[in-house]
Amino acid sequence: MEENKLGYKNIYYPPGGILLLIIILLELITFGLTLVAMVIISKSNVELFHTSKMMLNTTLGSINTIVLLTSGFLMAQSTHYFKLKNFDKSSFYLKLVLLTGTLFCIIKSYEFYHKSIAGITLEYNTFFTFYWLLTGFHFVHVLVGLVILFIMLLSMKKNSSAVKEEDFEASSAFWHMCDLIWLILFPVIYLIF
Amino acid sequence: MKNQTTWILLMVLTIGAFFLSKQFNFVYLILGLFTAKFLFVAFQFMELKKAHTFWKFIISFIVILVNFIILIALH
Repeated sequence: MEENKLGYKNIYYPPGGILLLIIILLELITFGLTLVAMVIISKSNVELFHTSKMMLNTTLGSINTIVLLTSGFLMAQSTHYFKLKNFDKSSFYLKLVLLTGTLFCIIKSYEFYHKSIAGITLEYNTFFTFYWLLTGFHFVHVLVGLVILFIMLLSMKKNSSAVKEEDFEASSAFWHMCDLIWLILFPVIYLIF
Repeated sequence: MKNQTTWILLMVLTIGAFFLSKQFNFVYLILGLFTAKFLFVAFQFMELKKAHTFWKFIISFIVILVNFIILIALH
């Protein structure tokens, strides 16, 4: 493999691949700028943003942070064992990633459900427009990540040695992107007032 | 640093930030903790610590810049 010969220190071959890394950077910039816009708009209506944030469940949000970070750790372990050609351990960890990722989605869906039955939808107020858009887009990323990892698991079940290391690494990088996006969203939306 | 050590550290920081936000509203500290967590995930779990300096710089720059602008906007 060309990547392995050249090594990660080559600017053109970062872990996960250059194209995916560029996508990750663009995603971070997009989510980051939207958060900046949210904070700037919040300055013109401090009271509304404060009371709206009080309606969020920080305990559930923190549990979801723990779940997502744990899934990131399990993904790193899976990638580590994949590179060592220990496919049994790698697929075991991958299954745990799928489990924790699904748990994240269940907790988030529960939160979304309770907000919507309380009538707190996208049009409720400016804060909740940002809340639904940002957490909703992140949720979609997690779902896409789960589909990618599930396909990877199926490919490994068929023939582990046929799965390319670059492909596995790229799927792993996509999953870590979900962690990274959540780590910039969570404190600004849920924690700081 | 091993993945396990990073995970334990991330858990401690997450739980710490949760209780901190319940008691006080230290915006700087909370954003600082989350920036640190972001960098741990990027460098350790994503293995960016092995990447070219350019990638290490650009990802650190983006998260620090976003949080810095948020801090300025908040004050």
